[in-house]
Amino acid sequence: MSDFPCELSGNVLVVTLVGRLDTNTSPQLEKLLAEKLEADPVKGLVIDFEPTEYISSAGLRVLLMAAKKMKSGGGKLILCAMSEHVQEVFDIAGFTPVFNIEADRALAISAGRA
Amino acid sequence: MAAAAPQPDIAIRNLNALLEVATQMGKVIDLDELLELIVTKTTAVMDAERSSLFCYDPQTHELWSKIAEGLGSGEIRFPAEQGIAGETLATRKIINIPNAYQDSRFNASFDEATGFRTRSVLSAPLITGEGDVAGVVQVLNKTSGEPFSADDEKLLMALGTQAAVALQRAQLFQVQLEQQKTHEALRLAADIQMNMLPRDDEPFLARKNLEVASYLRPAKEVGGDFFDYFLVDDDHLALVIADVSDKGIPAALFMAITKTLIKSVARTGLKPDQILRQVNDDLLQQNEAGMFVTIFLAIVDLNSGEVAYANAGHGHPYQVTTSGEVIKFEAVGGVALGVTDMIDFDAGVALLAPGSFLVAYTDGVNEAMDADDAEYGYERLEALLHKKMADSASLVRAITDDVETFVKQAPQSDDLTVLVYRHR
Repeated sequence: MSDFPCELSGNVLVVTLVGRLDTNTSPQLEKLLAEKLEADPVKGLVIDFEPTEYISSAGLRVLLMAAKKMKSGGGKLILCAMSEHVQEVFDIAGFTPVFNIEADRALAISAGRA
Repeated sequence: MAAAAPQPDIAIRNLNALLEVATQMGKVIDLDELLELIVTKTTAVMDAERSSLFCYDPQTHELWSKIAEGLGSGEIRFPAEQGIAGETLATRKIINIPNAYQDSRFNASFDEATGFRTRSVLSAPLITGEGDVAGVVQVLNKTSGEPFSADDEKLLMALGTQAAVALQRAQLFQVQLEQQKTHEALRLAADIQMNMLPRDDEPFLARKNLEVASYLRPAKEVGGDFFDYFLVDDDHLALVIADVSDKGIPAALFMAITKTLIKSVARTGLKPDQILRQVNDDLLQQNEAGMFVTIFLAIVDLNSGEVAYANAGHGHPYQVTTSGEVIKFEAVGGVALGVTDMIDFDAGVALLAPGSFLVAYTDGVNEAMDADDAEYGYERLEALLHKKMADSASLVRAITDDVETFVKQAPQSDDLTVLVYRHR
């Protein structure tokens, strides 16, 4: 099962990905992000991968869309706390240099504020 | 004025009329036909001049009507709070208006538009078996010229209940019909997609210096994986394996575009890294949905066994030699196509000795999962590749069988594709 708890830290929205981000759960995240960013266009969006078990290409697509959306609004998307396994998926797809990736949540939030 | 007790003959007439209408409504499943039947029968049974039927749309909170008798065809829609119909819907009670023009709730615009003169109005909710309000039925002007009576109220309420049930049934049927249509469209799309894959009886496959085998099984009806093989010229074979983010119709369309672009660009004689760069730029021209595709592209020199390749974020293929040695294709830089523009792809080169296999696959293989969410993984795949195989087809079958044995009864979560080439 997947769950995406959200927390606002100043003008940075932190979304934690619990569980799996695959074909079945990605649409939920896509909808959640669209709603949150619509309601409150924050400056920084942080996605915390600490409790993430798995990410598929469908999940990568949602992140890519989020990055584009943040960029077009003058904000930025920062990913953080990836496990080796999740990092590997990013590496293979060649996504690592495309995204802003920080080691942990605190670093990601301060990068989002900057 | 107190309502008189119903006359026995009137009560019998009403009961007969109700039975007849209920029987007829039970036979009609087409929604438009049913709406028309309800309106005409209501007018006749109620001995009125006109009837209108308003259906409630809970999604938009509107009332809509296809047929307001005498107004011709076309649909009218208005907010569900509006007018006498709106009040009937909200209160779930019948409203009997003996003189419309003396009632502030009455909207005379329909009369003005049609030249009809409304005298009296009887407006009843259509309450379903579950107690939901499906809409409102209104009858105008008793032909006798009298206002509607208490008996008329009872009759219209009873008629409304019948109509509500029939309406609900017809709407349910329509939803099912639409689902069936969608299902058929998906199946058709899946057929078209499978037909886009190269045929296994292409004439060039009969050549003695090559051997190609492949397998693709989508997880859903319409998948995002694809593979392709085609001759670039007489001595060069292109091998393509790819995985579009996500599945379904949008992924299938993106796949079709990508496949077509690769083939046409490859035939201009460019190298794999140059082909991927150009296809990436083309794909980015119109990619609102943020789709992307990982691709491994190789062009094999059929005489020398030299493989020129490039990789757009796809899992690395393997080379399996005749002595059972398993070698990963050296990683070369590249991002999935459709992500970002103006990127370069690195060029890779490998040499296949005669008898060696090139094994390409999508993540449906290494990420195949059993019921406990354990992954098939690269180790199992590599262990299997060490075993000696007679030909490409046996190798493809060995991989897919091994994955199937591993996942057991777990549902297939991703498309699974294997493409094997053997240099002879």
